[in-house]
Amino acid sequence: MAVRSRDPMIVRGLARTDTGPMRRRDFISGLGAATLARPVRAQPLAIPLIGYLGPESPEPFASRLKAFREGLGETGYSESRNVAIEYRWAQGQYKLLPALAADLAARKPAVIVAAGGAPAALAAKSATGTITIVFEMGGDPVALGVVDSLSRPGGNLTGVSSLSVEVSRKRLEFMRELLPDETVFAVAVNPTSPTADSQLKNLHAAADALGVRLHVLSTSDEIEFEGLFSAVAGLDAGGLVFTSDPYFAFRSQRLAALATRYRVPAITQSRDFPNAGGLMSYGGDFTQSHRRTGIYAGRILNGEKPADLPVQLVTKVELFVNLKAAGALGIAVPPTLLSSADVVIE
Amino acid sequence: MTGRRLRFSGLFQKYFLVLYLAVVIPLATNGVSEAWFSYRDQRATLDQLLAVEARSAAVKIQGFLEGITNQLGGLVQLSWTEEPDEQRRIDALRLMRQVPAIVSLTLVDGAGRERLYVSRIGLNRTESRANRTENEAVAGARSTRLWYGPVRYYRDSEPYLTVAMSGNRASVGVVVAEVNLKLIWDVISAIKVGRTGTAFLLDGPGRLIAHPDISLVLRGADEATLAPFRALRDLIGQAGTDVVTGTDGQGKAIAAAAAPVPGPDWTIVVEQPLSEAFGPIYAALWRTGGLLLAGAAFAGLLAYVLASRMTDPIRRLEEGTERIGAGHFEHRIHIGTGDELQRLADSFNIMAAELAVSQERQERIAKLKRFLAPQVAELVDRKGDDSVLEGRRTEVVVVFCDLRGFTAFSAKATPDEVMNVLSEYYDALGQIITRNAATLTSFSGDGLMLLLNAPVPIDDPALRAVDMAADMQRSVQDLIVGWSGRGHRIGFGIGLAMGPATVGRIGYESRFDYTAIGSVVNLAARLCASAADGEILADVAVAEAVTDKRAIASLGLRSIKGYDEKMPVYGVPFAQPPACPEPVAGSPDAATRPMPRDAIG
Repeated sequence: MAVRSRDPMIVRGLARTDTGPMRRRDFISGLGAATLARPVRAQPLAIPLIGYLGPESPEPFASRLKAFREGLGETGYSESRNVAIEYRWAQGQYKLLPALAADLAARKPAVIVAAGGAPAALAAKSATGTITIVFEMGGDPVALGVVDSLSRPGGNLTGVSSLSVEVSRKRLEFMRELLPDETVFAVAVNPTSPTADSQLKNLHAAADALGVRLHVLSTSDEIEFEGLFSAVAGLDAGGLVFTSDPYFAFRSQRLAALATRYRVPAITQSRDFPNAGGLMSYGGDFTQSHRRTGIYAGRILNGEKPADLPVQLVTKVELFVNLKAAGALGIAVPPTLLSSADVVIE
Repeated sequence: MTGRRLRFSGLFQKYFLVLYLAVVIPLATNGVSEAWFSYRDQRATLDQLLAVEARSAAVKIQGFLEGITNQLGGLVQLSWTEEPDEQRRIDALRLMRQVPAIVSLTLVDGAGRERLYVSRIGLNRTESRANRTENEAVAGARSTRLWYGPVRYYRDSEPYLTVAMSGNRASVGVVVAEVNLKLIWDVISAIKVGRTGTAFLLDGPGRLIAHPDISLVLRGADEATLAPFRALRDLIGQAGTDVVTGTDGQGKAIAAAAAPVPGPDWTIVVEQPLSEAFGPIYAALWRTGGLLLAGAAFAGLLAYVLASRMTDPIRRLEEGTERIGAGHFEHRIHIGTGDELQRLADSFNIMAAELAVSQERQERIAKLKRFLAPQVAELVDRKGDDSVLEGRRTEVVVVFCDLRGFTAFSAKATPDEVMNVLSEYYDALGQIITRNAATLTSFSGDGLMLLLNAPVPIDDPALRAVDMAADMQRSVQDLIVGWSGRGHRIGFGIGLAMGPATVGRIGYESRFDYTAIGSVVNLAARLCASAADGEILADVAVAEAVTDKRAIASLGLRSIKGYDEKMPVYGVPFAQPPACPEPVAGSPDAATRPMPRDAIG
């Protein structure tokens, strides 16, 4: 069962997860032994502390954390050697992010890393105006009010934005390309996402341009996912387009399983989705964005000012197509789509 | 001592300085000139190297652009028809996948209508047929075939470039590509100049297009960020040389070279920290310096050793001569240099040996002179051995003499007076003894014993002895006149005898005397004892030896103490100076005058 505990768990991951994702059991025992956190605080000041704010649990973050640590390593920092990282995981309960951010800020780390979406960045921003925050998100940080401008972020924030939010309309386009005869598509949106409105606006504009109609389905909790897919079937929609949202992105496995079960052609932002058996994905390369987040965190530790570090946009937007999933759905993928695909899973 | 030390150290210093400078000056000249030429060569090499790096970097940037334009060329080969061109759409999408830097592509047909637009971000458009003839990229490509737009900053941050290309005829249309120049980062960050040197790319107006630190590029057209890059480019432009030295944004000293990127009118600048660029030069300079120091130290050591070796024999010579000068003639100077100094040392050694011999001779002569007449002593010395002094039996004439009444006089007179008298007495006798080559064997108080014919034989010893005795008597009688005037009653008598005696050296260590042993000595002593003031008594042997030559008066037989029988005694006359008012012993008969018999014996 993939449904997670809804307890507001504050998890303190202690450094080294090189051996792989930590198991949940470890976190519970870690929670029981709160004293475990003490040695980190007792570390001499010479070792800088990074506060890491994640909206999910460490398992779906494993690939992101790996990229983050690589980036950190490029600037000369390693958890096993010269930097300590305190993790706070919201376990999918995004409303807990502000409290976790405040808790992290109280530890006075050298830098707070708010990765995995705008909610974490916004929570961190509201928690501190002095500690440098390096964010990683899919949205436009200027539009979200996180920074003043890309080139001169100003304040205590900078970070990396993948283009996932901006390209949600392209997902509709690819879906339309795949199913040119369909005129109705369902759109899944997380109403709690700060980018929900702008994405919907974009999508509606795109639908007009493409000459299709949209059914907007809202869900902000994974227990509603099943209903989401069954609804798509009932709506007689040709396919399901997911807006960019970390909540969806981190639940790719679950979405892929449901898409397969309900035989719904779907496209999300994360490559995890086609990799898990879903049909398609189009979005920013998260390994690139998390890696750069790590580099920026390291540069902040090296003494650079966030105002001197412009917000980086991820250059790479990648299209994944799972031909196996297409075959199971009885869909022939047109050559134009295959030409565009960065990775074709056969 | 101090003066000597100073002289010594002065010579050492001179040698040391000369030897040291003789090595160090050519060494330093060579080292410095080599360093200078090596610096110039290295500098020239570095300039060439950096210029080559700049050109190579420019080629790489050109390669990036050509990678795009070559691909674009494939899209403007076939003429457009009025039908939608599905194949060209697939080609465009594939191109997008193959060239990640292209963000969007616009294909315009020969009539200037947009036929296709594909984008990574925005929605694609097909056959919109919008008129694009006014678009500057389209117009540019139509006139120049390949057109580069100015660099734009997307949202004031990411540098974008519009590249437009037309085919070889108007009907194939134009392709316009939006290129995200951020991707040149892969190229620019791969350019390494030396170990830490980097490159950056500026467009015509001097805006940063590419830099290994992407955050500098993403600041967009930020004057403060761009200023140092522009300054460097302008510096190279003005310098007119391949390579300039300046400072980068962080104020670090660098060497930089630039090369143009033809086409979009960009400039690539490669820079290398001066510390690294000049690293080999500095290393060479340090090496040269180190070698110079080592050479100087070695030269110092060498000069020290050589100067020591040169002055050491001189010092030893100096010391040796001092010791020899101080009388240590046995000292030898040991110098084995095999040169003039050794020869000098050998000469000194020979000199010392000769001095030792000479001194020994001097000492021996001085010793001999004590009892031998000086000329005899010289003779003995000249002969080189004193074997004449060895004991032997020979015919000698023994002469004894002493003063009469001296004991009584010395008891009464003051010591000064006694010494005065003795002094006058010996002065007078000494001259006579020396003149007659007599050997003084001993004297005590006022008495003397003289030998003739020993150790050196002389002609007619008896005659010499008689004449000498006469001389002595005359001289002393003259003195006696003076002594009488001072109230002293002193007389003088002589006895001489000739006969065989054993002569030789007696004594111990340095206290040697030459003497004669035999009855003739006793006889002479007895004769002296029995001689009165002014009397010279001789035995029969003497008398017979001089009988034809001197007038010897026989005094008849006399009983001599120690002899059982009476013996014939002879008186030797001597001429008394007529000036003498009261002759004590003026004639042979005066010898008969009664005299106190207190003489020796």
